[in-house]
Amino acid sequence: MDYVTDRWQQILFASWQHFSLVVQCLLLATVIAVGLAMVSYRSERLSNLANSFTAIGLTIPSFAMIGLLIAPLGFGVLPAVVVVTFYAVLPILRNAVVGLNSVPGGVVESARGIGMSRMATFFRVELPMAWPVILTGMRVSAQMVMGIAAIAAFVLGPGLGGFIFSGLSRLGGANSLASVITGIVAVIVVATILDALLILLGRLTTSRGLRV
Amino acid sequence: MSQLDTEKTPTEAASKTDTGLEVDRGGRASLLLYPVILLAILGALFAWLYTRDLSDTEMVTLTPGELWSMTLEHLYLTAIATVVVLVIAIPLGILLTRPPMRRFTTPVTALVNFGQAAPAVGLIVVFAFWMGFGPTAAIVALVVYAVLPVLRNTMAGLDAVDQSLVEAGRGMGMSAAAVLWRVELPLAVPLILAGVRTALVLVVGTATLGTFINAGGLGLLITSGVNLSLPRVLITGSVLVAVLALAVDWLGRVVEHIARPRGL
Amino acid sequence: MSESTTAPTEPGRITGVPILLDGVTKRYGSKSAPAVDHLTLEIPAGSTVMFVGPSGCGKTTTMKMINRLIEPTEGSIVIDGEDVTTMNGDDLRRRMGYVIQAGGLFPHMTVAANIGLVPKMLGWDKQRIAERVDELLELVSLDPDSYRDRYPKQLSGGQQQRVGVARALAADPPVLLMDEPFGAVDPITRQRLQDEMISIQNELRKTIVIVTHDIDEAVKLGDWVVVFDEGARIQQYDSPERILAEPANDFVSDFVGSGAGLKALGLTRVNEMPILDAVVVTPEDSPTTAVQKAEAAGHGHVVVLDRARRPIAWPSVAQLRRATALPTRYEPDLPIVGMGATLEDALDTMLVSRAGAALVVGPRGRFEGVVDIDTVMQSLRDNRGAADTGRSPVGTNDAEARIEVAPDTGEITLITPDQVGTGRGRYDDGAAEPSRSDADEGSDSTALPQTSGERP
Repeated sequence: MDYVTDRWQQILFASWQHFSLVVQCLLLATVIAVGLAMVSYRSERLSNLANSFTAIGLTIPSFAMIGLLIAPLGFGVLPAVVVVTFYAVLPILRNAVVGLNSVPGGVVESARGIGMSRMATFFRVELPMAWPVILTGMRVSAQMVMGIAAIAAFVLGPGLGGFIFSGLSRLGGANSLASVITGIVAVIVVATILDALLILLGRLTTSRGLRV
Repeated sequence: MSQLDTEKTPTEAASKTDTGLEVDRGGRASLLLYPVILLAILGALFAWLYTRDLSDTEMVTLTPGELWSMTLEHLYLTAIATVVVLVIAIPLGILLTRPPMRRFTTPVTALVNFGQAAPAVGLIVVFAFWMGFGPTAAIVALVVYAVLPVLRNTMAGLDAVDQSLVEAGRGMGMSAAAVLWRVELPLAVPLILAGVRTALVLVVGTATLGTFINAGGLGLLITSGVNLSLPRVLITGSVLVAVLALAVDWLGRVVEHIARPRGL
Repeated sequence: MSESTTAPTEPGRITGVPILLDGVTKRYGSKSAPAVDHLTLEIPAGSTVMFVGPSGCGKTTTMKMINRLIEPTEGSIVIDGEDVTTMNGDDLRRRMGYVIQAGGLFPHMTVAANIGLVPKMLGWDKQRIAERVDELLELVSLDPDSYRDRYPKQLSGGQQQRVGVARALAADPPVLLMDEPFGAVDPITRQRLQDEMISIQNELRKTIVIVTHDIDEAVKLGDWVVVFDEGARIQQYDSPERILAEPANDFVSDFVGSGAGLKALGLTRVNEMPILDAVVVTPEDSPTTAVQKAEAAGHGHVVVLDRARRPIAWPSVAQLRRATALPTRYEPDLPIVGMGATLEDALDTMLVSRAGAALVVGPRGRFEGVVDIDTVMQSLRDNRGAADTGRSPVGTNDAEARIEVAPDTGEITLITPDQVGTGRGRYDDGAAEPSRSDADEGSDSTALPQTSGERP
C-alpha cells in the first residue's frame, strides 16, 4: 500500500495515459470500422470478406503483430497506436456489419419509399438502428485493447504496461511485485471505468424506441 | 488479449456469431484452401530468410533445428494449458448448469470474468513471482486466462438445448445422467467445440508472452529480436507465431466440422 | 369506394393525379424472362386500383416502379402528365406516400417523428409539422395526445399500420402506394383497417395503388382491379363487379375462386338499393285502423314505430285481426339492417325473418323502409347490367401498343396494330368477351375514354 500512496501521482498519470491511448484509438477504430462496414455491408461478398478479415485479425497474437510493426515503425507511440487501433477495429467492424445487416429490409425500403436518399437512409435510419450493436462491439474492443495496450508498453508505448515491465526487470528487487500488481489492478480499474462510460454513452445515444 | 474470439460478444443481433455457430464460414473449400495459404506464407518467409546474408547471431538463432524446438516448446505450453482448461472448464460448465448448482453460476462466472479482464502479460508475471520463472507459471497463467471461453460456451451450449428434448428424454425413462450424456452433451458439442477453439487460439497467442518469464516458446524470437535489434529474427518470430495461431484455429475448425453431430 | 358506390357520405374533391405506365418492362439479367413485360397501364386520378395475382407475378415490382424503388428497364412512367422516369428518385418518392406491410416504421423514432419525417425533409417548420402530425393521427383514429410520443414497439400491429398510413399521407401526396398493407394483422383488425381505409379514401380521393394477394380485399377496396399473371401480364383490368361476375378467362375465375356470386353481395350496400315504403302506425292506433291502412296500400304487414320512429314490431294483417291492441313492447327478433350493411348481411337477415324481408334503419335507429329478397335479386341483376356499360381504364401488355394522350382533356387512347379485342386491358384467350361487344365502344376503334369512375 505504501507503494501506491508513494507513487499516487505517477500511477494516476500512467492510468490517464493508458485510458487516453485506448479511448483515442477506440474512437479512431470506430470511425474506421463503421466506414469499412458502410462500404461492405450491402454486398454479401464484401461482408464475408470483412468477417474473414475480422476472424483472422483476431487470431493473430497481438505480440506478434507488435513485433511485425517494430520493423517498419520503430519504437514509441506510433506502433502502439497502430496495434491498439488495429485490434480495436475488429470487433467493432464485425458488429457493425452484423448490425447493419440486421436492420429489417422493410424499414430500409420504407425509408427509400418515402424519399430518403441512400445517405440519409444510412445515417438517419440504418446507423441509429445498428448503433446498440456497434456500441457492444466498442465495449468488447475496449476491454480487449486494454490488455494489448499493456503489452504495447514493451515497445515503449505509454501507459500502465510500464509498471508490469519495470517490475519484471527489477525481479526480486524492492517493490517489484507491488509494481506488477499495481499495473494489473490499475488496468482492470481503468477498463471498468471505460466500460461504465460506454454503457452510459449507450444510454444517452440509443433511442428509447430501440430499448422498449 | 487479441484473441478474444467471437464468443466474446454478448450482443443480441450478433447472436449467430456469439454462439460460435459461424463454424462453417467459407465452407469446405476455404477449409482446404487455408493450410495451403499458410504453407505459402511459411515458404515465402524461409525463402526470404535464407537468401539474405545473416549475421552470426542470426545464424545461431534461426537454424531450422532451433526454430523447430522453439515451436515444440510453444506447442507444449499450449497443449498442456488447453488440456487443463478443458479438464476444469467443461465439467465445471456441466456442473453449473445442473439445477441444484444454479445459484453458483453468477459468482463463478464473475470470478472467471475477472481473470480475463486482467492483462495477460500481468497475469503471467504475477504467477512467475509466485511460482518461480519457467513453464509451470506460464501454464497456470494461461489456464486462468483461457478458462472463461470454454466455460461460457459449455454453459451456453447446454442452456441452448431445447428443454422439451430433455423432458422427452426423462419421459422415456432415461436417468438424468443418461439425458446429459445422450441428449444434452451431443447437442451442445458445436458450441463447446467453438469455445475450445477460442481457448486454443487464446493460449497460442498468450504463450508468446511466456518468453518474459523464461518459459520458452516462439516469443523468445520476438523479445531477442527487439532486445538485440535483429529485425530478421523479430520478423521470423512474429510470422511464425501468427502462422501457428492461424494453423491452430484452422485445426479447430476442421475438428468442429467433423465432430458436429449429423442433423445439426 | 367501389364503382357502384353512389357514396352516401359526401365524397371529397379528387386530390389524386392520374398515373400512366407506358410500355414498362423490367428485366433482371438480359436472358431471363422479364419480371414485368411491356406493361401499359392507366391508373385514373382519385381511384383505388388493386394489383392482385399469385406471388411472383410481378405486381409488387410493377408498383415499386411507380416510385422507382425499382428502375424500369424500358418504358416510361408518367404521373400527372409529367414523365418521371428520369427525375431524381428521392424527390419523386417524397411526393408519394408509401406503405408496406407492418408499416415499416422506424423503431428508433417516436410516432410523431415517423409521421413528421417527410414534411421535415421537405423543410416544413416545426409548428406546421406538429399540427400536421396531430391532424393525421386523428384521421387514422389514434388519439394524438396518447400516441404522439410513443415508440413503434409500444403499439399493436394495427396501430403501427395506422401510423404507417399516416406517415404516407404526411405531406399530402396525391399518390399513395401500398404493398400488402394489411397483410400482417389479424382478420378482425384487417377488416377494421380496410373499412377505415375506405372512409379515408372517400374523404381524400387520392390515387391509390394497393398490392395484395387477397382477392376479397381487392374487390372490397378497389375501384378497379388488375389481375396479373407471371410477367405482370394483365389477365383482366376491370371493376370488382365485373371481375366477379364475368371473369375474362379461366385464370381469373380460378383466382377469384368459388363463391364469386356471394362475394358480389359484399360489394353492394343497402343504401344503394331502392328501399320500399311500408305502412307505418303508432302503438296508439287501433288494430282496425292498421288493418285498413294495410289493405288500402295492398300490404300484408304494418310497421309499428315509437315516437322516435324506431321500429317496435312488424305484425302481419292476420295477426292484427286477432289483436285487441297494437304491441308497445319492442320485439326482440325484428329483422333490422342498417343503411351501411352489405347485401350479404341483409340477405342473411331476411332469410331468417318470417316476412322474407328486412327493416332498414338509418341514423339513431330511425325507420327508413323495407328491403326484400326480390329487391336484392333485382339489384344484383342491375349490377350486371351496369357492369356492361362501365368503362375500364387502359391496360395491355401488347408491345406494339402506343399511347396517345389528348392534349386538352388528358384522355388516354390506346393504339394497337391489332384493333380487335386487345385494347381493353383484358387478356383474351381467343374468345371474345361475352358481355361486351366491340360495338359498345365503337366498332373500329379501340379508343377508350378515360374512366370517370362513375356509373352513367
